[in-house]
Order: sequence, then C-alpha cells, then structure tokens
Amino acid sequence: MAAPGSCALWSCCGRGWSRAMRGCQLLGLRSSWPGDPLSARLLSQEKRAAETHFGFETVSEEEKGGKVYQVFESVAKKYDVMNDMMSLGIHRVWKDLLLWKMRPLPGTQLLDVAGGTGLAWVLGDAEELPFDDDKFDIYTIAFGIRNVTHIDQALQEAHRVLKPGGRFLCLEFSQVNNPLISRLYDLYSFQVIPVLGEVIAGDWKSYQYLVESIRRFPSQEEFKEMIEDAGFHKVTYESLTSGIVAIHSGFKL
Amino acid sequence: MATLLRPVLRRLCGLPGLQRPAAEMPLRARSDGAGPLYSHHIPTSPLQKALLAAGSAAMALYNPYRHDMVAVLGETTGHRTLKVLRDQMRRDPEGAQILQERPRISTSTLDLGKLQSLPEGSLGREYLRFLDVNRVSPDTRAPTRFVDDEELAYVIQRYREVHDMLHTLLGMPTNILGEIVVKWFEAVQTGLPMCILGAFFGPIRLGTQSLQVLVSELIPWAIQNGRRAPCVLNLYYERRWEQSLRALREELGITAPPMHVQGLA
Repeated sequence: MAAPGSCALWSCCGRGWSRAMRGCQLLGLRSSWPGDPLSARLLSQEKRAAETHFGFETVSEEEKGGKVYQVFESVAKKYDVMNDMMSLGIHRVWKDLLLWKMRPLPGTQLLDVAGGTGLAWVLGDAEELPFDDDKFDIYTIAFGIRNVTHIDQALQEAHRVLKPGGRFLCLEFSQVNNPLISRLYDLYSFQVIPVLGEVIAGDWKSYQYLVESIRRFPSQEEFKEMIEDAGFHKVTYESLTSGIVAIHSGFKL
Repeated sequence: MATLLRPVLRRLCGLPGLQRPAAEMPLRARSDGAGPLYSHHIPTSPLQKALLAAGSAAMALYNPYRHDMVAVLGETTGHRTLKVLRDQMRRDPEGAQILQERPRISTSTLDLGKLQSLPEGSLGREYLRFLDVNRVSPDTRAPTRFVDDEELAYVIQRYREVHDMLHTLLGMPTNILGEIVVKWFEAVQTGLPMCILGAFFGPIRLGTQSLQVLVSELIPWAIQNGRRAPCVLNLYYERRWEQSLRALREELGITAPPMHVQGLA
C-alpha cells in the first residue's frame, strides 16, 4: 500500500512529480482515494508523462529533447575529429554518396535538417519547422533523425514543407545485415567508441549515448514503413557498409 | 572459431559481475548487479580498461594539459595497488578513521576563513598559502569514475585530494619540475602505476639543465623521503590544521628540499 509520504513528492518539479505520481498509481493510490480531486488531476497528468528511450535509458518525452541537445552541445567542438576517428573517415564517403544520389542542380531549393547546434543558420525544431508548406525541392537529414523525440512528426513536417514532386532523403545509422559483421560492429561500438570519446573529447557519456541510440533506431524496413506512413511514395532504401548506414528516399506526390 | 573465442570475448568484454554471454549483454550497466556502484561510476570491461589505460597514457604524454587523462590512467591501472593501500589504511588507526569517515577536501568542506586565521607556519595556513601562490583550488579534482569498487574509489579520490598537501609538505611548486618531484615521492609511497609512469615519463619534456638537477638532486631526495615517511594517506589532515608544518615534517621524517625549485623548469 502506498505510504502517503512517498506520494508527497509531487510538490517538486514536473518531471519528479509525474514520476512520483506513476509510482503512486502502481501502489494503488487511486483506488484508496477515489473521490479526491488530487487523484483526478493525477489521472489526467498520466497521459502527459509518456516515456521514451534515451539510448538504453528510459526518460520522459519532455526530457529527451533537452538531453539530446546537451549531448550535441558537448560533442560540437570535436565533432569532425571524432567522426573521422570513429569511422576512419568513412562517414565522408557516406555523405558523398548521399549528395550523389541527390544530384542537386543550381536553383534546387534544398533543406538540410539537423545541421548542428550553435550555427548561424535557421534555428528550428524538426517536429515543427519554421517554414511554409510546399517550399522545398529536397529535404535531407543526415545522422539527425535518430535523435528526434517524435520521428513520425519530423517525417510529417518533412512531407509538409516539400513541394509536390519533392524528395525526402535520409542518411542514418541502420541495422547490419551480416551476423559476423554485426558482432564485430557491436564489439567496436561498445568497447572502443566510448573510450575514443573519453580520450579524445573527455566525454564518455555522449558517445555511449551515440552507440545506444543507434541500436534503438528502427531497421531499414521499419523506417521505410514509417516514411510511407507520413505520406511519402516510392519509398526505397539503400544499405551502405553492410547496413551500418542506410539512405532512405521518398517522394511527395 | 567463434565458439573458441566466445569465452575469451566474454571475459574481455564482460562488465564486472555480469555472467551472460556477449550477445545478450545489454553492454551498458543496468541496476542488475553490474550497475553503477557510486555516483559518477562508469562500469567498464577489462578490454575497455586496457584501451582507456593505453589511450589516456598516450594522450597525457601528447597533451600534458589533459589532467583528466592522468586521472583516467590512475583509475584504470590502480585496482590492485588501491587494494594494498586500502588494507594499509585499515591497519593504521588514523587511516582506519579516514576510511570510516571519508573526509573530502574541497572548498565546500574546508573552512577557508578559519584556515586563514591560523598562525603562520601551521599546516592549515601554509596549505592556504600554497593554494594562493600557485593559483590552484582543491575543487579541480574530477570525481572517480572507472574504479569498480566503491571503497577503492574513495581511496583514489583521497589520494588525489591529498596531492596538494604533499606539495605543501615537500615545499614543491606546481610547475612541471615540482610535479615530477611529487610524483616520485608518490610513486615510492603508493606504488600506483600511474605515479610510476608519471615519474619516468614526465621528465621527457624537460630541458637538460632541469633534467640534470632532477636526476642528481631532486629525485634522490624525493625517494629518500618517500621511503622514510609513513604512508601519507594515513594522515587525517583535516584534524591537523593547527599543527606546525615543521613539526609535521619532523614527524614524517621529511627534510628540506636540496634547493629552491621555483626558478627552474
């Protein structure tokens, strides 16, 4: 039975409040105080206390955005060096392939999302873009969508801001298709990458988050379905480097 | 081949306390026994420790301003030695009290005003003077992360926080020469691999004149005093602020340095 003391925690910040409330619900607080206006409020707050993943941790959806932002603020300084070290320069090949697929021409209206923190470009939220409908020819996002709290919303926004005939292109970490390579990749990811992060950037935790968030991201097929759900057509994907990354493409009709 | 490698991989890549095969491992410590043992603890596999040790050693040499790398090196290579040190502390009455009460040296735990008011020549006053003159603060010590035992994590934290005391006791400044001398003293006193590595590799960056002085005078002095003095981790410094520095040096058998180090290096 819930001790009243443990549920008095709801007086502090929203986050702690909703967590304590959930704990109370499990312990039967609702049933023991049915007429209490407090319990009615607790019930309606339940829906807002939705949880999501942050790497292998579980966090509230509200928290995730902030935590991801902190990670990228932290890694910004050594971002390029670390990318080169971790992928041995291969990330440049992946990005080149994305550009090659895109074949942008002079005059193409291109939107690239998740370009980084602290840049002097347009600051916005992938789930709520500060642009009008039907504006761009191409929407790209490279190694960004994995970190968005509501990927479906980001996909819907991408669909919205693209012109009819416009193309969505996403370069992102995906699932390795070969069992042996998968084991080596896991070994490398979990044993080496956080160590590299610590030694080069003095930041173990951000790189631990990186490799965990990769594992949390849907597979090539699943992500394809999500893109289709957002209204895109002719959705295809191409796996690179045994599926370590994949380029997904879709069109707005 | 995979079946032969599997037990080896499991041992190398397994987190402390975890028994499950590599494929099923969550690879990040959860609260199932292999979880964090203290705040800031990051559990690591033997392979990760080895990589960290090698990487931090290389980085510390390449960029001596990366003090965090020296700390990481100490944590990833010191487990066995920390056990010996902890046991030594347990056997000493003052050391045992320190292990029990776990005092910390930081601006939040020190009464700087009180230390300021102590008489000249007292440990407290001289320690404060050392902090002022060298423009250092006890708060720059990063918390322990890679030691997989909560008591040993405290021991290494204590060693780090006592480092400034040693500078005061030995009368060594925080320039590179002074740091190397203290490292030699610490190497003899603690046997920590990181101190031994620092003592031998630190001098690489010195000029010939300093190197000469170091080898002919300072190192022998540091070794002699290190061997003579009882374990410096067994001193409850926080209870000895009023003690005169001279008396404390006598108690520990620490003699005056062979020369004034400030001008060199």
